[in-house]
Amino acid sequence: MDAHIRKVYVPMTETGFYILLCLREESHGYNIIQKVEDLTGGEIRISPGTMYGSLSKMEKDGLIRFVREEEKRKIYCITDLGTQVLELEMRRIERLYRNMTEVR
Amino acid sequence: MRERKTELRIFTIAQWEKEQRYLRKRHREGWKFVRVAMPGIYHFEKCVPEDVVYQLDYNQEGLEQKEEYVQMFQDCGWEYMQDFGGYSYFRKPVSEMKGEEEIFCDDESRRDMMRRVFAGRYVPVIIVLFLLILPNIFSQLQNPGTEGYMPLILFLILFLIYGWALASFGYQYWKLGRRQEK
Repeated sequence: MDAHIRKVYVPMTETGFYILLCLREESHGYNIIQKVEDLTGGEIRISPGTMYGSLSKMEKDGLIRFVREEEKRKIYCITDLGTQVLELEMRRIERLYRNMTEVR
Repeated sequence: MRERKTELRIFTIAQWEKEQRYLRKRHREGWKFVRVAMPGIYHFEKCVPEDVVYQLDYNQEGLEQKEEYVQMFQDCGWEYMQDFGGYSYFRKPVSEMKGEEEIFCDDESRRDMMRRVFAGRYVPVIIVLFLLILPNIFSQLQNPGTEGYMPLILFLILFLIYGWALASFGYQYWKLGRRQEK
């Protein structure tokens, strides 16, 4: 993983994290928006401009790849690099959570 | 035939937030935005007053793959209106929203949009300013041609317009930065 990817994606925005988390299965942008809404009990609703921008940025950086198109919706999937970044983030958040529960 | 009106309103490339507020205000007053066909000329149509949020995006990649781009916004309930000067216009009634909605939900993506505007619209402005306008001002100052001061005055006017456009973008970027610190 090169320095640019580290700088941009570690730590990443909540939006970015949920996108990678959802793209472990193939899905399109609006699908991810709905899934994230479900996962967070309606707390997080990703806006379309943010979703479109994030997907194209992540595709350019090789974190996700375009799979195919269905009814004018582009379907993406996570890549090996994306999985590495996601795991790095998961470990960071686990540590955060552990430390938080210790002091509580 | 519905009642229509046209208004002249100038916004610089950096003032899309102001433009959004202007269109929302008109819709609340009962004038629905129809289109902008020339810089600064806005067409409206009489309608039932309603609170509708207007949003502008600047995304060249989106324009190249327009169907997929527009589909994403439509899935989220945003009506796509048109493109103008690289900007895409969207709107959504407040009554269909859960809380206040915008097309961007975090400052990271708002800053990304500013970067796209900068690369798409301001880099050309800077190039014209430094390679055309400034050199001409200096050469006119050193040896005014046979036309007298006219060329110099024209270039100075251009300089002011371009300088203003750059300054207003800088101000906008600074404002976004300050909002993030809060």
